[in-house]
Amino acid sequence: MAIEADALRDEIVALLPRLRRFARALAGHPADADDLVQIAVERALMRMDQFQRGTRLEAWLFAIVRNAWLDEARARQRRARIFAPAEEGENAGDARVSSAEARLQVNALQRAMQALPAEQREAVALVCVEGLGYREAAETLGVPQGTLTSRLARGRDALMRMMGETP
Amino acid sequence: MSVSDETLMAYADDALDAGARAAVEAALAADPALRARLEAHRRLQAGLRAAFDGALAEPVPERLVAAAQTRPPAAPVVDLAARRAARWSVREWSAMAASLAAGAILAFGLSGGPRPPAPDLVVADGALAADGALAQALERRLAADESGGAPRIGISFRDREGRYCRSFSVETVAGLACREDAGWRVALVTAGQGDVGGELRQAGAHTPQEILAAIDARIAGDALDAAEEAAARDAGWRAAAAP
Repeated sequence: MAIEADALRDEIVALLPRLRRFARALAGHPADADDLVQIAVERALMRMDQFQRGTRLEAWLFAIVRNAWLDEARARQRRARIFAPAEEGENAGDARVSSAEARLQVNALQRAMQALPAEQREAVALVCVEGLGYREAAETLGVPQGTLTSRLARGRDALMRMMGETP
Repeated sequence: MSVSDETLMAYADDALDAGARAAVEAALAADPALRARLEAHRRLQAGLRAAFDGALAEPVPERLVAAAQTRPPAAPVVDLAARRAARWSVREWSAMAASLAAGAILAFGLSGGPRPPAPDLVVADGALAADGALAQALERRLAADESGGAPRIGISFRDREGRYCRSFSVETVAGLACREDAGWRVALVTAGQGDVGGELRQAGAHTPQEILAAIDARIAGDALDAAEEAAARDAGWRAAAAP
């Protein structure tokens, strides 16, 4: 049992980069995203007994990150504070984005994601950013698959419009 | 053939079966405008990856690695088979309810185990109906409302007969109820997920598979969003308002 728990911890460490990416797609600001990942990891470790072998660990962790994000968003609403807008150039040190034009595109898409309603943003983040299948994404969010696909379609449609594409 | 936006999206996501994929490919071959729409989907997909893949290339902050490696003081690993979900059908609930005086609030008892708190259920006209705090929550509560404890509301939607239905959870019990003239009729109850913390279910992410399947089988169109949910509630969940 203890060995299995250790193995699970190693798997969680290996998934940290993807959890950070997912959290960033949801929360926008990298520091906020890392806070979410930390909260989620702590919750996951406390509830390791609820993880069922045979289900994908990443989907389970994505669900916990997403719930931490919703909790935080609600708490902020209660405090009647407005979300800090994603800062421009927050990934300026990202060497993989080379040209200025690509840089602009990245910033614009990050902002566009933050403008999506939460329901659409989480669907886009799971499928388009994290590459989950429709069924798995629907299970992660706890919604029927038809609901997932229609949120996904609306989210993408809105992003394309914001990016000046005609869907 | 015409290809809907959702179908084209599913094609771009490689989520279609072979037959549907072939049909989209045939349409693509014949329709330059459709090809342009597909390209727009692919550009967005590539753009989204580029926008967030930076997180994969960066070193993970030490505090996160430390959080993952910390051994929590009490992380009991229990036998999952021992707490596997026990699914209760309406028939079983009704049988149990029938053995009690009609109108009595049911206590949810699992033989030998701890007793999870009960949703309020009564037998009315030979069917299982919500009562007490559960009926109150189904009637008034919104999914986003997290004040107080159970019962919580998950997904609200309209079924094929135009009735409003809502999934709910009370501690370890989850269910699905639909609004009829007389009140909320409970279509399905499942028990025993054992999610002690409750946080997973809070945001609906832990809706049991049986409930999701039951929703899929009944839903007409899309689930209600927050505004539609509030409007339906304020209109008293009247099926007559169906479009």
